[in-house]
Amino acid sequence: MYKIIILTTLFVSNNLYAMDNMHDHNSKQHDHNSHVAVDGSKTELDDAMYNKFVSDLGSSQVVIVDVNGMVCDFCARGIEKTFYDDALVKRVLVSLETGKVLIAYDNAKKVDFGEIKNIFLSNGQSATGMTLKKIT
Amino acid sequence: MGIYKFIGLLVTLMSASIVEARPISWTGGSTIMYKSNSMMSSYYYHYSPSFKYSVGAEYINDRYYNDQYISIRSTYLLDRKNTKASQRNLYLTASISTKSNDDLYYGVHGDWETRRYFASFSILDKRASQKDYTENEFQIGIAPYLGEYNQLHTWIMLKSKEDTRDDKWKTYPFIKLFKGDFLLEVGSKESHWDLHFMKRF
Repeated sequence: MYKIIILTTLFVSNNLYAMDNMHDHNSKQHDHNSHVAVDGSKTELDDAMYNKFVSDLGSSQVVIVDVNGMVCDFCARGIEKTFYDDALVKRVLVSLETGKVLIAYDNAKKVDFGEIKNIFLSNGQSATGMTLKKIT
Repeated sequence: MGIYKFIGLLVTLMSASIVEARPISWTGGSTIMYKSNSMMSSYYYHYSPSFKYSVGAEYINDRYYNDQYISIRSTYLLDRKNTKASQRNLYLTASISTKSNDDLYYGVHGDWETRRYFASFSILDKRASQKDYTENEFQIGIAPYLGEYNQLHTWIMLKSKEDTRDDKWKTYPFIKLFKGDFLLEVGSKESHWDLHFMKRF
C-alpha cells in the first residue's frame, strides 16, 4: 500500500516537474517575443561596490540585477557557477547585503533580461529588475 | 498553484522529519552529504535536474537496528516564495529502501529564512520492516552577524526532534557554519554528537 503511495507521489512529482518545464519554456518564448519590460527603477547603485567591480574590466557591458530570495550564501553559490558557463561573461559579483548581482559581459553579448531571469530562477531566486551600463 | 497546495496539505495530513539545508540544488547541481547521530550515520549524494527536483542515493548505517542499506530518495519543491528579505520553501520528499519492500518513507519539509533568522520543520513517516515510526523535527536559528558573500557564515541553532521509537522530544543547540560550497553542522545531545557535512558542486 505504502509502496503505491510513494510511487504515486514520485509519478505526480515528475508530472508536475514536466508541467513546470512546459510553463518555463512558454515563459521563455514570451520573454523573447516581447522584448522584456525591464524595471530598473528600484536599482540603486552602490558606488564603491560598482567602482571596484568595473576596475580593470575594459570595454564591457555591466548588468546590475535586483534579486529577491538571495538571503543565504550557500544557496547563492549556483549563481556564479551558472553565469560563468557563458563564455561571454567576464566577471560576476554577488552582494547579499544589497540583494544585487553584477555581471560584466563582453560587448558581443546580446543582453536579454528573460535569459537572466531564467538563470536566477534555475538557482532558486527571482530577478526583479536590471540596469545595463556600457563601460568604455 | 492550487494542486501544489492540495498535495502539500494531503501529504502533511497523512504523514508525519529530517531537516536538510536545501534538499534541492541549482539546476544541474550536485550535493554530497555525511550525517551522523545517535541513531544512524549516512552518506548521501543527490543531483538536481531542475531547481524543483532532486534525486539521490543514500547509504545508511542504522545504529538502532544494526543494519546497513541503500535508500533512493526524491525531493520535489512544492512551493517557493522569494521576497527582497526572505525565502520560504515547502518540499515533498519520498524514499524507497533496497532493504525490503516494506522499507520506505515519505514526508514534508518546510523552511523560511532571512539573512538573520531561520526556521524550519520536517515530518517523515517511516515504514520499516522492524517497526514503523515517525521523525518530527523543528529548527530555529539566528545569525549573530551578517556575513557577505564568500565570507564565513555562522548560525546559532536550536533543534527539537522526536523519534517515535524513543517516544520523547529532544531539544538541543547546535552550530551551523558555511563558507563557499561547504556547510558543517555540529551539535551534541545526551553525550552523542550530531554531525552534518555538505558540499555542493
